[in-house]
Amino acid sequence: MANRPAASAAVLAAAEQDRARGARRAASERWLTHLALAVACVLSAAPFFYVIAASLKDKGSLFQYPPVWFQWPPYLGNYQRLLFETGFPRWMLNSLFVATTVTAIKLLLDSMAGYALAKLDFTGKRVIFLLMLILLMVPFAAILIPLWSIAHQLHITNTYLALILPPLANPFGVFLMRQFILGLPKDLENAARLEGVSEFGIYWRIVLPLVKPGLVVLAVIIFTDQLVSFVWPLIATTDDNLLLMTVGVASMRAKGGTNYGLWSAAAIMSLVPVVIFFLALQRQFMARSTSGALNQ
Amino acid sequence: MSTTPQAVALGDRALPPAPERRRLTPEEHRALARRRRLRRELTGWAFLGPMFVFFVTFLVVPVLGVFWWSTRSGSLTIGSEPVGLANFRRMPHQVDALTAIRNTVQFTLMSVPLTLALALGVALLLARVTRGGAVYRFLIYFPALVPGVIAGLIWVFLTNVDFGLFNTVLKAVGQDPVTWLGTKSALKVVAALDVWRSTGYWSIFFLAAVIGLPRVLYQAAELDGASGFQRFRLLTLPLMRRIILFAVVVGTIFGLQVFDTVLILTNGGPGTATQTIVLRIWNYVFSADKVGYGAAISVVLLLAILCLTLAQLRLLRSRRGED
Repeated sequence: MANRPAASAAVLAAAEQDRARGARRAASERWLTHLALAVACVLSAAPFFYVIAASLKDKGSLFQYPPVWFQWPPYLGNYQRLLFETGFPRWMLNSLFVATTVTAIKLLLDSMAGYALAKLDFTGKRVIFLLMLILLMVPFAAILIPLWSIAHQLHITNTYLALILPPLANPFGVFLMRQFILGLPKDLENAARLEGVSEFGIYWRIVLPLVKPGLVVLAVIIFTDQLVSFVWPLIATTDDNLLLMTVGVASMRAKGGTNYGLWSAAAIMSLVPVVIFFLALQRQFMARSTSGALNQ
Repeated sequence: MSTTPQAVALGDRALPPAPERRRLTPEEHRALARRRRLRRELTGWAFLGPMFVFFVTFLVVPVLGVFWWSTRSGSLTIGSEPVGLANFRRMPHQVDALTAIRNTVQFTLMSVPLTLALALGVALLLARVTRGGAVYRFLIYFPALVPGVIAGLIWVFLTNVDFGLFNTVLKAVGQDPVTWLGTKSALKVVAALDVWRSTGYWSIFFLAAVIGLPRVLYQAAELDGASGFQRFRLLTLPLMRRIILFAVVVGTIFGLQVFDTVLILTNGGPGTATQTIVLRIWNYVFSADKVGYGAAISVVLLLAILCLTLAQLRLLRSRRGED
C-alpha cells in the first residue's frame, strides 16, 4: 500500500491512527482472554486445593469456625491411617496391575484385529465391522445383569480374570488401529509380501513399528479408562483383596460415618498416579480428546 | 504363487529358466483357487479371532442377554422363569423406574448443554493465547482425568453444610449457608459436578477443531466489518456444526450413564431425588426376585444408547462424504 503514489499524507495518518487503536484493542482483548482463562482455571482447580487442605487438617480444625484455610503445621495422621490401616495400598496396586495387564493385552489384540480389518480380505469382514460400530458405545452399565451371569458361569467372578477379560471386548481400539493402519503406505508391505514374508511377519515387523504413535495414544486411552472404571468392578468383585482403587474408595465412603479426614486423603492419594502419567504423557492425553472424532 | 517350483529372488533381475509346466486341468485349477481362498480366510480370522472371541463373549452375548433377561423373573443366582413382557408392562406403573428415568433425562438436559457451551467458550479463548497455553490446558483438562468416585468425594467436601467450600465462601460474603444436597437442589448439584468434570475434556476436543478453522474466512469477515459476535454466529457455529452435534450426541450417551458420582455424593437421595437409571439397575442386579425388572430398565438404556450411536455414525458418515 505504501508504494501507491495516490495515498495522501492524511490517509496515511488516519491509517496509522487506526492501526494504533487496533493494537490497543488487541492488547486489552489479550488481557481479557487471559483473565477469563485464569478464572476458568481457578474454578477447575480450586476444589483440589480445598481437599488437599482438608486432608492436612485434624478433626478439630476441619470443623472450626471461622474456618482455617491451612492448618500449620500440617496434620499427617489422615495419610498415615489411609496407608497403614486401610486396604488402600492394595487397591492401588490392584488398579495399576489390572490397568497394565488390560492395556498390554488390548494393544496386541486390537492392533491384530485392526490389521485384519484394514489390510486383509475375508468373509464376514463388513458385517463384523458394522456390528462393532453399532456396539461401540454400549457401556458396562447397560449389560451388568447378563455380564455377571456369564462371568458366573465361567467361574471368574471374584478373580482378577473378571476384571481383566470383559474390558477386552470393547471395539474402540480396533477402529483406532484400523484407522492408523489404513494410513500406512502400501509399498512396504507389498515389497515384503514379494519377498515372501509371512502375514504375521508383515504385521509384527513392518506394521507395528510404523503405527507406534497410534499404539501410544491407544495405550494412554485404555490405561486411563481402566483407572477410572467403576461399575463393572463394583459388581464383579466383593473380596477386599481384589477391590480396585475406585471400588475401595467407594466402599470406604459407603461405610458411612464422618471420616472426612480419611476420605480427603484417599481422594488425593488416588490422584497421584493420574497426575504422574498426565505430566509424563501430556501430549498423548491431548490427542486422546481428539482421537474420537477428528481422525475418523 | 505356491505352484512355482523355485521362488524368484527379487535381488537378481535375471529370471531363472522357466520350469516346464503343463496346463492345469480345470479340477486342479479349482482346487488351487479353493486352497488360496481358504488360506486367505484363515489368515484374516487368525488376526481378528482373538479379539473377536472376547467381543462376542463379553459384548455381543450380553447385549442379547439383556433382552432375554428382560422377559424373565427371578434372581441371577437362584433361578428365573419366563414371564413374557410383564416387566415392561409393569414399568409405567412402577414409580421407581419412572423417577430414575426422569431424573436421568433432567440431569442430561441440565449438564450437557451447559458443559458444551462452556467448553466451546473456553476452547475459543484457548485458541487465542500463545503464551501460557500449556498451563491453562493442564488445569482446565485435569478434572476430566479424575475418576467419578473421586470427583464425587471431592464434591462431598464442597457441598458439606458445615465446612464445605461453597458455604464457607457464602458465609465469607455474608450470605446464609445453603443445604446443597437437599431435595430441591441435589440433582442440580450433581449436574454441576458433571459440568465441572467434563468441561475440560470437551474444551480440548473443541480446541482442535477451532484451531483448524480456515483463517481466511475470518480475515474476510473482519474486512467486511463483522463484529466478534457476528463472526461467532455466522462463521464459527456453522463451520463447527457437525463437531458440536457429535459432542451433543456423545455427551448425551455419557450423561445417560451417570452413576458413580451420584452414588458417592448422594446415593440417590435424599429420598429418590437423585435416583438414576444405572443406580436402579445396580440395585436390581443382586436382588432376590427382580433381576428381570432390572434387565427391562437396562433395555431402555441400551436402546437409547444404540439410537444415539446410530445418530453419531450418521454424523460421521456425512462428514466424511462432504470432505
